Amino acid sequence: MLRRLKSNWSYLAITALFVVLILVPFHWFLGQYTTLMIFIGIYTIVTVGLCLLMGYTGQVSLGQAAFFGTGAYISAILSTTYGFNPWLAMLVAAVATGAFAYIIGYPIFRLKGNYLAMATLGLGLIMWIVFKQLNQFFGEPDGISGIPYLSIGGFVFNSSFRRYFLVWFFCLAVLLISQNIVRSRTGRALRAIHGSESAAESIGINVDQFKVKILVLSAVYASMAGSLFAHHLRYVGAQTFDFMASVKLVVMAVIGGLASVWGAIFGAGATHILSDELLLRFGDWDVIIYGLILVLVMIFMPEGLFVRLKDILERLRLRYRRRGAEP
Amino acid sequence: MSRSVILETRGLSKAFGGLVALDKVDLSIDTTKITAVIGPNGAGKTTLFNLITGVYPASSGEIYFQGRLLNNVPAHKRASLGIVRTFQHVHLFGNMTVLENVMSGQHPRSSYGFLEAALRLSKARREEEAISLNAIKYLNLVGLGTYTDHDALSLPLGQQKLLAIARALATEPRLILLDEPGAGLNTLEKRQLSDLIRSIKEMEITVLLVEHDMPLVMGIAEWVIVLDSGQKIAEGTAAQIQKNPKVIAAYLGEEVE
Repeated sequence: MLRRLKSNWSYLAITALFVVLILVPFHWFLGQYTTLMIFIGIYTIVTVGLCLLMGYTGQVSLGQAAFFGTGAYISAILSTTYGFNPWLAMLVAAVATGAFAYIIGYPIFRLKGNYLAMATLGLGLIMWIVFKQLNQFFGEPDGISGIPYLSIGGFVFNSSFRRYFLVWFFCLAVLLISQNIVRSRTGRALRAIHGSESAAESIGINVDQFKVKILVLSAVYASMAGSLFAHHLRYVGAQTFDFMASVKLVVMAVIGGLASVWGAIFGAGATHILSDELLLRFGDWDVIIYGLILVLVMIFMPEGLFVRLKDILERLRLRYRRRGAEP
Repeated sequence: MSRSVILETRGLSKAFGGLVALDKVDLSIDTTKITAVIGPNGAGKTTLFNLITGVYPASSGEIYFQGRLLNNVPAHKRASLGIVRTFQHVHLFGNMTVLENVMSGQHPRSSYGFLEAALRLSKARREEEAISLNAIKYLNLVGLGTYTDHDALSLPLGQQKLLAIARALATEPRLILLDEPGAGLNTLEKRQLSDLIRSIKEMEITVLLVEHDMPLVMGIAEWVIVLDSGQKIAEGTAAQIQKNPKVIAAYLGEEVE
């Protein structure tokens, strides 16, 4: 009974979220934040993949920006230099990034814990250097510009208003798919690996294979987000995918709650607003703020800010209901 | 190999560097009997379990399960063949509820994957329904049917151990290996455990257990194998083992001849 009530509430919450999201880009509502919300949508897609990988499966990635950048750069290069249709470029990018994750997955998951963290960090740094080199070949020293917009038939996503709906369509699709995965046999297998690898193996879960599969999925999410990023800004630069970008992605996942799919919106939103609006005046010192946030959140609310807020609301609601029941 | 042997080892050995943990052990486990492996600390009991379940490979020797050579079967595939174990240190999934722990045990008896899950296809929904019904059945069997939505680690140790057994049973095994199921349980819980082990036998699942608690072993084991320093030194019924001078020596540290 309690469970049914709870799920009704979450349907209500999700419906409310949909309504708000649809209204955001209209100028009489939150129109001035449309561009900001586009970036939040893009980062949410990457963050959800990171939550599946880190929060549910327990595998650290400090190099998620590598996949984000791979998607963005493949889209950028194919649609400029080689004149691919942007959708085709996006598809090729997703497949290639997934294949890349698959190939590095088996060797990288021979490592665990801190060593895995170091290896993924290394991956991020290597790919960042690769992106810088790609600029030399395919664009200007700082990046690649002149990337075309996505379009469907004659309908070109050439305004923020249009791209907002495009990005959030992808974002919500990714969120729903991820939620379905989490609540399935596959999701239990992933959480089992996080809980105890030896126990997971003993009940027939192919631990190595599931780790690689979830890495591939998170890489494909990141690649899609990267493509959307490239076709939104029409420009990609290597500094978007540097080590700090990977750190920011981890902060997003942690603030949203590592083991919470919907928290990713909250985590990506809070962190993006923090980094692009509030922390700019700190210059290079922003690293310290991120470190401080990570430490504080992990100590005081390891399940994430979003999950904690949800718990508090739930408790208030129960108290309110109990008071209502007793005349 | 006779039909009533479910598991057989021939010359099974395991060395860790220079340390020989298991030394040319020949065993044949009877399908219809509750078998206990006993022995002092460091006798090789847990090593034996780890070899049977494929945690690490044998240094030499063979393991046969229902006549099939197991040596090269990866650990996760042994569960679908019908071998499952519990752990001395329980190893529950702390990030799941009681019910979800048991549902995860149904992994080898279901097959839908990422795509069916992502799109909630009818195969996923159908299997998911069967998985949760079966899980509830196994939870009821161990007497935890009323705790479905509790966090697994919120249960007291005795119930955690029962939950681990329920999770193992959910893989629908032919052979279940219990690693010190009685450790840390009080007298009442031990009696419940003995009853549970007997009812597992009635489900036509062979039980092989490692246990230090002698009254528990003598109460339920129909066949006892004694290991000492990696070697099998005796086997027989509980009564025979209790009188065996080698066994007494191994436990009391006496020199034999």
